Amino acid sequence: MEKKKREVRNESSTGMSRRNFLGTVSAGALGATIARPVPRASGQEDSGNLPQVTITINGRVHQLRVEPRWTLLYVLRDKLGLTGTKPGCERGECGSCTVLIDGVTRYSCLTLALEADGRQVTTVEGLMQGEQLGPVQRAFLEEDGFQCGYCTPGQVMSAEGLLRQKPNPTIDEIQIGMSGNLCRCGAYDHIFKSVRRAAELRK
Amino acid sequence: MRPFEYYSPRTLSEACNLLAEGEPDSKILAGGTDVLVEMRKSSAWSSKAIVDITRIPSLRGIGESGDWIIIKPLTTHTEVLHSDLVRTHAPLLQTAVSTIGSPQIRNRGTVGGNIMNAAACADTVPPLIALDAEIMLKSTSGERVIALSEFFVKPYVTVARRDEILVEVRFPKLPANARSSFVKLGRRNALSIARLSVAAVVCKDEAGVVTDARIVPGAAFPRWQRVPEAEKLLIGQKPSKELLVEGGKKVSEVMISFTGRRWSTEYKEPVIAVLVRRALEACE
Repeated sequence: MEKKKREVRNESSTGMSRRNFLGTVSAGALGATIARPVPRASGQEDSGNLPQVTITINGRVHQLRVEPRWTLLYVLRDKLGLTGTKPGCERGECGSCTVLIDGVTRYSCLTLALEADGRQVTTVEGLMQGEQLGPVQRAFLEEDGFQCGYCTPGQVMSAEGLLRQKPNPTIDEIQIGMSGNLCRCGAYDHIFKSVRRAAELRK
Repeated sequence: MRPFEYYSPRTLSEACNLLAEGEPDSKILAGGTDVLVEMRKSSAWSSKAIVDITRIPSLRGIGESGDWIIIKPLTTHTEVLHSDLVRTHAPLLQTAVSTIGSPQIRNRGTVGGNIMNAAACADTVPPLIALDAEIMLKSTSGERVIALSEFFVKPYVTVARRDEILVEVRFPKLPANARSSFVKLGRRNALSIARLSVAAVVCKDEAGVVTDARIVPGAAFPRWQRVPEAEKLLIGQKPSKELLVEGGKKVSEVMISFTGRRWSTEYKEPVIAVLVRRALEACE
């Protein structure tokens, strides 16, 4: 099942049209709501034999059975429906899957779900303050820190991680702190401005 | 990703036992920045088990013992970057880790993984060899210490046995009169793989005469090594601009004597010479 999903993703990443892309995402979200903790009968997905992990995601404790090969990214999106975290290159280069693990920025595509056992994970959904956007999200809106928006959740998480370490970063520190996230639209200038603005809004 | 067995030992001896007696075709997971990328290329991936050593606390941290700095293998690049000990006693290593990948990679990737993966472009290796680092390997049959310069056979191949775990990296603190540098040439500033790099250490006496010089190019030779032919040019001299240029040319010459002339030589020949000169200038 996972393999099939990945093929769909690969298609969308090579010849991505907005329609294909939206189709993939909504299918993923639908799959997740159905697939949640229902045990399956088929081989590897027989969840009774799978190791259990306890991961605190955005303050909520989740107990899940996971296959060893599942990445944190896959579990967040396809098992928990937290589709704010985006798959991109899936090999630790583009940054769209960035989340915080124990407060530190990490690529969720390069983290096994099993490795996150016992850890605190924060995704872009976790930056919301109730129904309101958090300061970093607001800053990206105010400063137009995106164009197509696909890399934005990752950018926002990198900014959040950076500002937790350095609440008042210099422009050099911003550029280094955001250097693990690619933006194919090239909105970097506005992204850097957004991070500055976010630093003000967080005060 | 293909299915695999996953083990998460909590102690070093448990990990050694797993590697010695468990699934013979297993792979150690530390930072995962290389292993997990390899695993996705499922055609090339054959290991049936992963031994995740990241939950062994004794394998993490930076310390000192007398004149030595000790770095445990699970220390991340970010931890090296923020270490006062490394800043004081091995600044070139700090420069090197600052060029690795991106913040997310540095938060994850480890010094031990960088060494054991043994990619020709590994950024921590040239500085560590310039620092005369040694490493300690452990298995159920005991421990052994190897000079890092003797550890590599060729890219991605080391003398470590399959059941051995890297448990310590250590090197003598640089003397107070040492200056050191690391320069790297990549295709961009972040998320960049070293095309070529140079680590250099130069010690001078009060008169400005070079008493010790160490030059280690990265991604240039079939295996990492110092370049004594170029180091000798500097020792006993007061470096002039011309001497540093000459040192660079010497490294280039030695490189070609090892690699022969190939498609990339036309580019690497002048570029490695310039990088060496810049690294030496940074030690002035």
